[in-house]
Amino acid sequence: MSGSALAFDRVTVRYGARVALRDVTMRAEPGEVLALAGPNGSGKSTLLRASIGLEGPDSGTIAVGESTLSGLSLRARARQVAWMPQEEPVGDNLPVPEYVRYGRYPHSARFVPPSAADDAVVLEALRLSGADELGDRLVWELSGGERQRVRFARVLAQQAPIVLLDEPTAHLDIGHQLDLLGRVRSIARDHRAAVVIALHDLNLAARFADRIVVLHRGRVAADGPPRAVLSPQLLSDVWGIASELRYDATSRLPYLIPRVVSVSAPAASGGPPRTRVHVMAGGGSGTEILRRLVDADYSVSAGALPLFDSDSAVAEELRIPTAVEVPFAPISEATRAQVRAFLAESAAIVVGAFPVGPANLANLEELAAWDRPEAILLLAQPGPAPWDFTGGRAAEIRAGLLRRGAVEARSLHELLTNLASRFGR
Amino acid sequence: MRRDPPNTVSRAGGGARGRSARSVVGLIVVALTLLVVLSTLVGPESLPWPATLAILLHEMSGGHLAGMPCGSASAAECRIWIEIVWDARFPDLLLAVTAGAALGISGAGLQGVFRNPLADPYLLGLSAGAALGASSVYTFDLAPAGRAFILPVFAFVGGLVPGTVIYFAARSGRNSPQTLLLTGVALNAIAAAVLATFLLYNPVANLSVNFWLLGGLEYATWSNDGLVIPVVLVAGLLLVLRAQEVNLLQLGPDVAQSLGSDPRRLTRQVVLVTTVVTAAAVAFAGIIGFVGLVAPHVVRRLVGVDYRRVIPLSALVGAGFLVVAWDIAQVVIRSVVIPVGIPTAFFGAMFFLYLLYRRSSRSRGVGAP
Repeated sequence: MSGSALAFDRVTVRYGARVALRDVTMRAEPGEVLALAGPNGSGKSTLLRASIGLEGPDSGTIAVGESTLSGLSLRARARQVAWMPQEEPVGDNLPVPEYVRYGRYPHSARFVPPSAADDAVVLEALRLSGADELGDRLVWELSGGERQRVRFARVLAQQAPIVLLDEPTAHLDIGHQLDLLGRVRSIARDHRAAVVIALHDLNLAARFADRIVVLHRGRVAADGPPRAVLSPQLLSDVWGIASELRYDATSRLPYLIPRVVSVSAPAASGGPPRTRVHVMAGGGSGTEILRRLVDADYSVSAGALPLFDSDSAVAEELRIPTAVEVPFAPISEATRAQVRAFLAESAAIVVGAFPVGPANLANLEELAAWDRPEAILLLAQPGPAPWDFTGGRAAEIRAGLLRRGAVEARSLHELLTNLASRFGR
Repeated sequence: MRRDPPNTVSRAGGGARGRSARSVVGLIVVALTLLVVLSTLVGPESLPWPATLAILLHEMSGGHLAGMPCGSASAAECRIWIEIVWDARFPDLLLAVTAGAALGISGAGLQGVFRNPLADPYLLGLSAGAALGASSVYTFDLAPAGRAFILPVFAFVGGLVPGTVIYFAARSGRNSPQTLLLTGVALNAIAAAVLATFLLYNPVANLSVNFWLLGGLEYATWSNDGLVIPVVLVAGLLLVLRAQEVNLLQLGPDVAQSLGSDPRRLTRQVVLVTTVVTAAAVAFAGIIGFVGLVAPHVVRRLVGVDYRRVIPLSALVGAGFLVVAWDIAQVVIRSVVIPVGIPTAFFGAMFFLYLLYRRSSRSRGVGAP
């Protein structure tokens, strides 16, 4: 067998007709924290249950250390693998140390009373789980966070080289989450345990796990270190959400920022061609406009926008073709050509209420050169606040556009209504 | 912040509990012994109490002590007294102790594996099934010669039917108290219907069949007791050996299995053992309700929830409850011995109602997830 603590080799688990795990191959190594990620129903809990023999594989093999799981007695399994389910009955109202001592059961002999060595293990488990202050309490009197630590202590008292934790941070506040996961890390490091932990929170997984295995519909969709695994593409493929990947400046760990909007389907093939609308915005003035237009099923383009501008981030997330420019630099000739190309394809142009300076004045100049000023919809600039940082040039162009038939809307709602009336939506 | 020296945290709690549990055990043993001795004074016949106690001492010591137990009474009278005390009252009491213990451990074991505080051999229909098996021996006049042997066997087979049904109900019903209890109610009703038919089918056997309906200890003999006592002792030992696994099962079958116990095998074994021991009690004492329900609850109140203590102590408390019920059955109506199942049902059912309503007014029941 391998030197891995836990090894799945082409494991398939079925619940009746439903396949919960499909051909899963993965391993967990001693000293490593392995995070299991995946949407609800992707097979995380099933994988953990199969690892302690609560679900038998329909095909494939599960190896624990040097043995196959199915070849071990229940007690021998319990000495190798400890499991903390997401939910379990509270059980009787026991003193905390007696409850934690249940973890010693697989090590106990029938006619031998619990030894001082067992007591020492229980105390150590309470200390490692941060529950040493709870030694004189009863389990029914514990808060959610305290109970979680005491359950964790019970699992540690098993002294198993493989520790499986199913959503241990559910119902915990952020402080308790970080505390628990920090303790999980030190268990792996100091005791050379292989810890497999099902986690919903990918950012916690990226922060605490050495490796992430992503399950999707019972299959392994990705397996590797957090930096290699986490990507907006993966989140979109597996969870169906749009996200943005960033790196923490100090730890260099990746973290994902999910976007709350729904991803519009990529240009649907078939059906009537959608009306093309170009958006000029910047500095966040376009965020809402872009989303509402996408939601209203317009085909949208945007720009020119500075790279890293919040509007360009939204445009990217919504997969809107966008002309981008390096931040704080004047719009280059190449970018202007791209904007011109977008404008040529557009049936209408929506202009947000954004500040105009020398860097982005070129946008307005392209607008002024467009041949259908009556199809330009401008959002009213809010009051007399300074938005024109070009010494009057921007205001002049804007006034010119309005004179030549462009429409000014006082609200986004009014603007969208106007747009809808033109294109029969 | 409190700082205990490391080793005292678990020791303090466990040690104090251990001491108080030991003194509770001692107290219960002393109380039960006293209760049995004093109960020899109770019966429809009125005997002088010093003579009764002296007879007990005389017989127990094998004739070495209390040489003239009856005092100034005639030898013929003394022989009758000795027969009443030593061959009638004392075997009855011994059966009360044994059957009470049998029902007590059955209740504790069933409540443990079904994680349901209302489980009990009577409410689950095990007793009715065993009674049906036993009474069919009389109804169909089976094996008149080997009756002493065949009776407990039939009681066991009769108890196995509801035992099997309950086992599967408990598995598929996911331990829902309603499913289990309603199954018991149904099994009880079916057994009662068949027993009622037996009464009509063979009027000659009526008296015997009636006996099983509400239980009684008056037909106890030394040889009957000799059959039941070893069964109860062995069953008690088997259940105590499984007690730690019953404790683990309170965390749910999955967690119990992850800790190295086999919850399905455990449930099978406990249902089998409680069926055997209930059948042994029912074969000679008839259906006695509620002892198995009451005893474990009283014990949990006294020493906590650890089944390693709850099971053996339920034997003692069940025995005490049945002895008291037997005393009441003999004195409540002058010169008539009423079936012992009447006082146990009367007081046990009141306790049952108390449990039901206390449970519903508390948020955390024992079987709750």
